[in-house]
Amino acid sequence: MLRNRVLLPLVGVLVVAAIWQVTLVAYRLPVIVLPPPLAVVETLGELLVTASFWRDVGVSLYEFTAGYLLGGLSGIVVGMLIGESRNFRLTAAPVIESFRFVVPFAWIPLTILWFGTSYTGKILLVAYAVFFVMVVSTARSIVQVEPTLSRVGTMLGMGRLALALNVHLHAAAPAIASAARAAAAIGWIAVVAAEYIGASAGLGVMITNAASSLATATVIAGMVVIGIVGALVSVSIKWLSRAYFDYR
Amino acid sequence: MRRAILTTASTADTSRTVAPGARGLSPRALAWILGGAGMLGTIVLWSLLSHALAGGGGVISRLPGPLLVARNLAKYVTHDFARDLASSLEVFAAGWLGGVVFATFIGLLLGRVQWLGNIFLPVVEAIRPVSSIAWVPLSIVWFGFGFTSKAFLVGLAVFLVVIVYAIDGCSRIPADLARTATMLGMNGWQRFRSLVLPGTLVEVLTGARVSLMSGWGTVIVAELIAANSGLGAHLIAVQQSYDVAAVVATMICFGLSGFAMNAIFTRVENRLLPWRQVERSVISDE
Amino acid sequence: MAGGDLVFDRISHSYATASGRTDVLDDVSFRVEPGSVACVVGPSGCGKSTLLSLAAGLLRPARGAVRWDGAEVRMGPNAHLGMAFQQPGLFPWMNVRRNVAIGLTTRGKKKGEALRIADEFLDTVGLADFKNAYPNELSGGMAQRVGIARALALRPRLLLLDEPFAAVDAFTRIKLQQEFNALLKLNRPTVLFVTHDVSEAILLGNIIIVMSHRPARVVELIPIAHEDRNRASAAYARKLAATLALLGVTADATS
Repeated sequence: MLRNRVLLPLVGVLVVAAIWQVTLVAYRLPVIVLPPPLAVVETLGELLVTASFWRDVGVSLYEFTAGYLLGGLSGIVVGMLIGESRNFRLTAAPVIESFRFVVPFAWIPLTILWFGTSYTGKILLVAYAVFFVMVVSTARSIVQVEPTLSRVGTMLGMGRLALALNVHLHAAAPAIASAARAAAAIGWIAVVAAEYIGASAGLGVMITNAASSLATATVIAGMVVIGIVGALVSVSIKWLSRAYFDYR
Repeated sequence: MRRAILTTASTADTSRTVAPGARGLSPRALAWILGGAGMLGTIVLWSLLSHALAGGGGVISRLPGPLLVARNLAKYVTHDFARDLASSLEVFAAGWLGGVVFATFIGLLLGRVQWLGNIFLPVVEAIRPVSSIAWVPLSIVWFGFGFTSKAFLVGLAVFLVVIVYAIDGCSRIPADLARTATMLGMNGWQRFRSLVLPGTLVEVLTGARVSLMSGWGTVIVAELIAANSGLGAHLIAVQQSYDVAAVVATMICFGLSGFAMNAIFTRVENRLLPWRQVERSVISDE
Repeated sequence: MAGGDLVFDRISHSYATASGRTDVLDDVSFRVEPGSVACVVGPSGCGKSTLLSLAAGLLRPARGAVRWDGAEVRMGPNAHLGMAFQQPGLFPWMNVRRNVAIGLTTRGKKKGEALRIADEFLDTVGLADFKNAYPNELSGGMAQRVGIARALALRPRLLLLDEPFAAVDAFTRIKLQQEFNALLKLNRPTVLFVTHDVSEAILLGNIIIVMSHRPARVVELIPIAHEDRNRASAAYARKLAATLALLGVTADATS
């Protein structure tokens, strides 16, 4: 157990680091192309005690959280409407299908034209990215709720609203929760991408600035941070949904 | 199967079980009428909004109406669109194919060779949350602003998606099939060829479809940041000249090409795997 | 409040399917006397469950009318009925007590009162020790009992049962069948009971409604007398053979 969960992954990391180091030495790569692994670790350590780094992380997380809540909650509401009413579903389907294929990144230039480099543009971008994921998966899981549960609800005297809130939403909750994790990953990356192109602060700005000044170690350290934050967000959503849906 | 689920899905929605004569329209006609109304309503809303915002000085004052966007769309499509699309597609195709092939190979290796899997799967798991988008600056440092850089990013995006499907496909052989193979006396290579490989390729195909959108999204980002040709480069060019109508028209082009890619691939996949049909639409049931 | 009068008046129904329409019921008429148990038997897929959905107001009939106490059955929730399904349909996110109580609170009972009634009915079906269990911890038979307790706790005047003992092991089924009449004594509802088991129909019903293949029609209404229920009696054997013959099964094949 310990061997498989800790030791072997560690071997994997060491092997990758070794290949990295060997490549570097063998091809005599300059530091600006590929810094040695230890330099990246060192840079990461330096970043962690810098105030501006934490400010960048804070800005990105703020934009993400605001957009995620906005898009996620409205997505669940619209998804429920679509799942509950066939007529609404038929009406909304083509509109949603056409927006779904305009990936969030394509909106970046427009949000910059409209909102400049402010937080608003990024928040709306994340909301857009998250919204469609949540609409589609919520609607889907509501429609696929075990039909017996709906019949039971009606038999027990629930009207349409009560059925939607007391039965369908509960039954669909685990599926909605796992969609919420997928949506978080997409939203988080949308923030970073938007910050590359037009922003004054944030992790995306940090690493593009580092890239243009050829501080490659900082670029890689920034990527690591983006990965870690993304993983933490995903894990905390998983943890939250476990805490609420442990009856499964 | 899915259709059967849907027709009985929620009995609170009694309209879903159709009784003869209860409603004069066939389900398909209803879908068309309501769907058309939805699209029309959206366009009307858009027009009204652009009229209302035209006079104000707020941040969203620059919302072009549908007609203006349509004119821009027509202009772009009849002029540079084909060239830009070809350039973007070239990057996309190279990266996508490379990513799928590489992911299948690595997936088979890590999924079938246990010690390799034990050592390197955690590494793959650690890299996955770092989306290909995060690699953009590094890729520019490594490969500059050209074709290689963009193809690398697309390949990476596709790889990160497909690898999961490949590993899943080759490490999860249904127990009854494995028993049958043993009963038939298959040796290692026969087993691999007739059991492992087909199962893996089926999953890879699904992954390849799923990765279309993330790959296409990566092309957009890469071209927005570092390109002198392609749809993304055009998008940035019109944005920098503050031509909102042209920006929206280009976005529509992105959407349409993504849609077309997905539709074509779904059709190919359904042709290749007739026993496993992919649904045409994700939310509508008709 | 005891049961009322359930009438199916010339009901026809069909479903829209992928390949067009399937007719399930064709001109079905019968009446269930207040407080009596009517068992519906027929070949599988003949629309027995559709019959229940129509009686419950979960489906609107294409033609004809279902009447309860003289008035046409409304679509949507109906206060007079309780129903137990083939799959018990317990809400997986609620424990057993709350699964039984939810119907009572939906109908306006106070939560404490609802839980008290739930406990009472769970005692009746022999699940006193499992009140706080979640559905995934129950066996099939136990889950089925919860479903029945939930329907009974509503004190329905019309009880609709869709093969409630089908998913249960043989031993539990016999036990539930034996307890069935005692459970009904509480308030004598009118019962429409769908089953594929003819002997069960004879043991539990006052009348058997025999349906044909799809599109289903009523083939015969067979009244059951008290002495027919003794499995050892000649009367039981005659009823069984007669019903099976109507379903196209000869007595020889079953002996």
